[in-house]
Amino acid sequence: MTGRRRLGLVAAGATLLSAAPLSAIFDRWTWLIQCTLAVGLVAGAALLCRTLRAPLWAQLAAQLGTLLLVLTWMFPSTEEFLGLLPSPETFARFGELMVEAGQDTRSYGVPVPDRNSLLFLTVLGIGAVSILVDLLTVVLRRPALAGLPMLAVYSVPVAVYVESVPVLPFVVGAIGFLWLLVADNVDRVRRFGRRFTGEGRDVDVWEPSPLAAAGRRLAAIGVAVAVLLPLAVPGLTTGLLTQLTASGVGNGPGNGPGGSGRINLFANLSGQLNETRTFEMARVSTTERDPFYLRFGVGDVINETGFANRPPTGRSVTRGNLPDPRQTAAAGVARQQYRATVQLTKDFNMNLAPSYASVVGTEDLNSTWLYDTNAQVIFSNRESGSDRTYSFDYVRTLYTPQALRTAERVPESNPVRQQFTDVPPLQEVTDLVANLTRGADTEYDKVRAIYEHFSAKKGFRYSLQTEPAASGSQILAFLDSKIGFCQQYAAAMAWLTREAGIPARVAFGFTRGGLSEGAYVLTNKNLHAWTEVYFEGFGWVPFDATPAAAVGGARSAWAPDVDAVTPSATAATPTGTTGTTAPDSSAGTAADQTRDIDEGLTGTTGGPVDSGPSWPTIALVAGAALLLALLAVPALLRRATRRRRHHATAAAPVTATAAAGSRPVEVTSEVLQARADAHAAWDELVDTMLDFNVPVDPTETPRTTAQRLITRAKLTGEPAESATLLGRAEERARYARQPLQGGELITALNRIRRALGAAADRRTRLRAAVMPPSVTLRWKLALADASERLMARSTRFRDAFVRISPRRLLTARPKH
Amino acid sequence: MTTPTWDELGGALPNEEFRAASEAIVANIEQVIEGKSATVRLALAVLLAEGHLLIEDVPGVGKTKLAKALARSIDCSVRRIQFTPDLLPSDVTGVSVYNQETRDFEFKPGAVFANLVVGDEINRASPKTQSALLECMEERQVTVDGTTYELQAPFMVIATQNPIEMEGTYPLPEAQRDRFTARIAMGYPDPRAELAMLSGHGATDPLNNLRAVADAALVRRLIATVRDVHCADAVKQYAIALVTATREAPDVRLGASPRSTLQLLRTARAFAALEGRDYVLPDDLQNLAVPVLAHRLIPTADAQLSRRTTDTIVADIVHRLPLPHDRGRSPYDTRPVPPVDGRQYESRGR
Repeated sequence: MTGRRRLGLVAAGATLLSAAPLSAIFDRWTWLIQCTLAVGLVAGAALLCRTLRAPLWAQLAAQLGTLLLVLTWMFPSTEEFLGLLPSPETFARFGELMVEAGQDTRSYGVPVPDRNSLLFLTVLGIGAVSILVDLLTVVLRRPALAGLPMLAVYSVPVAVYVESVPVLPFVVGAIGFLWLLVADNVDRVRRFGRRFTGEGRDVDVWEPSPLAAAGRRLAAIGVAVAVLLPLAVPGLTTGLLTQLTASGVGNGPGNGPGGSGRINLFANLSGQLNETRTFEMARVSTTERDPFYLRFGVGDVINETGFANRPPTGRSVTRGNLPDPRQTAAAGVARQQYRATVQLTKDFNMNLAPSYASVVGTEDLNSTWLYDTNAQVIFSNRESGSDRTYSFDYVRTLYTPQALRTAERVPESNPVRQQFTDVPPLQEVTDLVANLTRGADTEYDKVRAIYEHFSAKKGFRYSLQTEPAASGSQILAFLDSKIGFCQQYAAAMAWLTREAGIPARVAFGFTRGGLSEGAYVLTNKNLHAWTEVYFEGFGWVPFDATPAAAVGGARSAWAPDVDAVTPSATAATPTGTTGTTAPDSSAGTAADQTRDIDEGLTGTTGGPVDSGPSWPTIALVAGAALLLALLAVPALLRRATRRRRHHATAAAPVTATAAAGSRPVEVTSEVLQARADAHAAWDELVDTMLDFNVPVDPTETPRTTAQRLITRAKLTGEPAESATLLGRAEERARYARQPLQGGELITALNRIRRALGAAADRRTRLRAAVMPPSVTLRWKLALADASERLMARSTRFRDAFVRISPRRLLTARPKH
Repeated sequence: MTTPTWDELGGALPNEEFRAASEAIVANIEQVIEGKSATVRLALAVLLAEGHLLIEDVPGVGKTKLAKALARSIDCSVRRIQFTPDLLPSDVTGVSVYNQETRDFEFKPGAVFANLVVGDEINRASPKTQSALLECMEERQVTVDGTTYELQAPFMVIATQNPIEMEGTYPLPEAQRDRFTARIAMGYPDPRAELAMLSGHGATDPLNNLRAVADAALVRRLIATVRDVHCADAVKQYAIALVTATREAPDVRLGASPRSTLQLLRTARAFAALEGRDYVLPDDLQNLAVPVLAHRLIPTADAQLSRRTTDTIVADIVHRLPLPHDRGRSPYDTRPVPPVDGRQYESRGR
C-alpha cells in the first residue's frame, strides 16, 4: 500500500478519534456506530479512487457521493430509487431533519437521546470533517491544518455543555491528531528515501530514535499542558482557584445542612453550577408529559446583596387542605392534576423538599414538613431533604397569552403588590424599563417586553464564567455586559418587572434534566433560577429569561423561546401542545413517555417545517447560478478584451502613405493610430497563442514569435501569411519610422484563431473558450506581483523595526 | 591625392540602388566563396558599418580568399600585409626616410594607407607590430614622427588568424581585439559547395577573374545610406541591455566595452540595410551579438575549465534576455530567472 492510501486511512481513523468528545453529548452510542460506518465508507471510496489512480476531483466527488449515499441509507424518506439513490424527497427529508435538529438543540439538555435529527447532523458533520481532513492531509499534504476541522468537532460539546467537558475525550481527540501528524511525517521521510541508521541498516517505523522520542515527548507534554493548564487558571469554569475560594466562603458543595431560612440560594446555585464534579441530586418521575421545572425555593426580598429568601412560614403538610388553585378558576387557563414522586440523594443536603408548582397533597412526608403557601415551597425546620423519597399531587396550570392579557393591574392595596414590587431606586433601570414598556397596554405585554429584552437578538449571551449578580450594581453590570447565567437573567428580569410595578420574584429549582428509565435525573448541573411574575387573578406565572439552548430549559405558550427561529409561530398556538395532549398520557408508561415527549416536541416545532424543503432548493439554485457566474468571468473578460482590441483596430483609417522619403519619425495622428492598431492586434495574437497552448517567450522578437507560431501550429497558406503580417505590423509599429498601414489585421487575427481552433484538440478548445489561460495567467501574475509588493513592504518594515531595536543600539554603542 | 574625409561621404542611396549595389558585391564574392552567403553578408556589413573584420578559423577554409575577394570586388586601393614575427611597426604605418635629393626626410606611407588592408596571420607578428594598427584602426589616422596622416574613406582592416597551433604566435591583446568590429569564422563548406569548389577551382583560380563591381565612391555612399538607417529607442535599449548582460555574466571576467555597443548598433544598421530595411530590428542585434561581442570577452578561469566559450556565453545571454518592451513590462514575462551559475537542480519526482 502506498503512502497516500495509508495516510487516507489514518486520516479517517484520526477523524473518528477526534469525534470522541461527542460521547459527552449523546446518551447512547448509536452515533458512534453510524459515524464509524460513514467515515469508513467515505475513506473506502477514497482508497478505491486512489488505487484506480483517479484524478483529484474524482476522489473528492467519490467521497462526497459516498457520504450522500450513506446519509440516504441511514435517514431515508422512503421515496428513494432502489432504496439507496437519493430522490428530491430525500433532500426534502434532509431539510426537515436540519430544521428539526435546530429545534432539538434548543429543547434538549445534554445528554440527548438518540434523535434522528441530531444523529443526522452528527453523521453529516463527521462525514464532512473526514472528507476535509482527507483533503488537507492526503491531497494538500497539510496535516497540521487538518487540526482545524478536528477542533471544530471538539468545539461542539464545548458549546453545548455549559460547564466543563470531560478531559478524556479531549485527550483521545488530541492523540488522533498526533497520530495523523506522525503518519504524515513518516510518509514524508519514506518518500524521500529509505531511512538508515548510522550502520546502514534500514530503520523500522517505530524504532526509537532520539529525534522521534523527543517529538513524542513534546507531543505528550503538549497534550498534558493543554489539559492541565486550564485547571490552574482562575476565571475559567472549573478553575482550581475558583474552587478554593468557593469553599473558602462556605458556599461550595457539602457545606452541611444549612438553616432553611438562612441559606443563600444564589451563592449556593453558582457554587453548584461551577462544580467540576457532576453528581445526582434528585430523581423525579411524574405523570405529566412535559413537566416544567422542579422548584424548591424563592428569592423574594431584595437586600443589600440582592435577592434573598425570607424565612418561610407555613403549616404542616400532613394537616391536608393545601390550597387548590382550581378553586379560583380563571378564563383561558388549563389546569390538570398530576402525581410525581421525588427521590432525593444524599447530595441534596438542604431542608427543602423540591416540588412542582401548586402542590395539593403530599405523601411520605411527616408533620415536620411545612408548606409555605406564599412561596409554594415545602420546607422543614428540623429534617434534611437528603436521601428522602416522597410523592405529591400537584396541579399544573397552563396559561394563554390572551388570558393573561385580561389580568388587571395589581391594586396598591394588595399586600402582594406592596411586598413584591419593592426595589432599590436605580435611575438606569428605571429608564430602561420605561423604554421597554412604552406602548405596552396590558400588564402581560409589559412583562413580555421585559422578558424579550433578554434575548440573543439584544446581545445577551449565556456564560457561567461571571460573578453571581443579584445586587443593584451587579444587575447594572449584567444589563451592560449582557453576559451571564440563569441567576443573573432571573434576578435581572425580576428586578425590571418590579421596577415596572408588577410583583415578581426569583424561583430556584432544577431544569427538566435528562430522562433515564422513566425518571428525570437531576444533577447539580440542572440547578436553575427563573422569574415568577404575579398576575391579578392568575397568581404566580413562571418566566424563564435564560436562553433555552444554554440550559435545556422548557418554554411555554406565554413565555416562548425568544431566540427560536420562529418565535411567533409558537407563541400563536392557543395552548401549548403539551397541554392539549396531556390527558392521554396520564396512565402512560415510562417507555411511552420518552416517545411522547419526542412527539410533543416535534409537534410544537412543526410550524416552520413547511418552509423547510424550499430553502435548500433556493440556496442550491442560487449557489449553482453564482458558481456558473463566477466560472463565466474569465471567458467574459477575454471576450471583452478581444472586442475592445478589435474595435480599436477597426477604427484604423486605411490610408497608404508613401513610406520612402521622409526621414524623421512621423508623429501624425494616422501614424499613432496605426501603431496602436498594430499593438492591439499583436496583444490579441499573443493572448490567442496563450489560449491555444502556444508558449510565448519574452525574449523573442515579434518576427521570431510569428515564425514560431507558424512552425509550431503547422500553419499554412492564409493563416501563415496572416501570422507573418501581424508580426511585421508589430515590428514596424515598434521599431520603424513608418508603421504598416492598411493591413487587414482583424481578418488576419480571425484566420489565425480559426486555424488554431481547428488544429487544437477538444480540451484545449474548451479551455480557450471557458477558462482562457491568457486571463488566468494575468490573474496569477497580478497575484504574484501583489504578494511581491507585500513582501517588499514587510521587509522594509522589518528593517525599520530592526533599526530601532534596542539590542542593536546597545551593540552599536562604542565600548569604553 | 584627394582624400575624402569621413564626413564627406556623399548622399545616401535610394533603397533600390542600395540593394542593387550591395547584392552585386555579395554575388561577386560568392563566385569565389561558395555556400557562405551569411558570412559574406556579415563581412560586407562590417565594411558598411565602417568597422574592421577579424576572420578566425583553421587553415585552408578560405579566410584569405574571402578577404581578397572582398577587396577585389571593390575598385579601390588594396594592400596586403603578411604578418611575420620579424615585421616592424614601420612596415605597417610607414617610415620617414632621408631624401638625398631634397635633403629632407620624406614620409614613405606604409601598408595601411589604402582603402582595404588585408592583414594575414595577424597573430604571427609581435605585439609591438600589432600595436601599430591601434591608432589607424580606431582613429583612421597615422602619426609618424609627430606628423599625423589621415587615412582614406572607406578604410577597413581585414585580418585573419589561426586559432589552433599557437606555438610562435602572439595572441591579440584585448585593446586590439576590441578594435575589430566583428570576428567571424568561415566554417567548413557543405559537401555541395565543396563539390562546386572542386569543379570550379580545378582549372583556374576564380579570384583572378573577379572584376570590381563597386568603387570607393559607391562604398562611401553605401556607408552614408547605412548611417541613415532608423534605430528605435527600444532597440538601443536592447543593445545596452545585451552589452550590460555580458558585463554582469558570472562566466565573464571582462565584459564588452561601450565601443562594442556602438559597433553593435552600426553593424546592425548595415545588416538591416542589406536586408532592405530602413530600420533596425532586435532580430539584427540577436543575429550579430555573437560575432560582434564574443571576441571581446575574457571568460573566467572556471568557464575556461568547463569549456564554456565566449560564443556560447553570448548566445546564452541572447537566449535569456527579455526584449525591452516600449510599452511597459511584458505581461508574459513568466520565465523564472535561472540560477546564477547555470546549474539546475532537478526537483525530485515522486
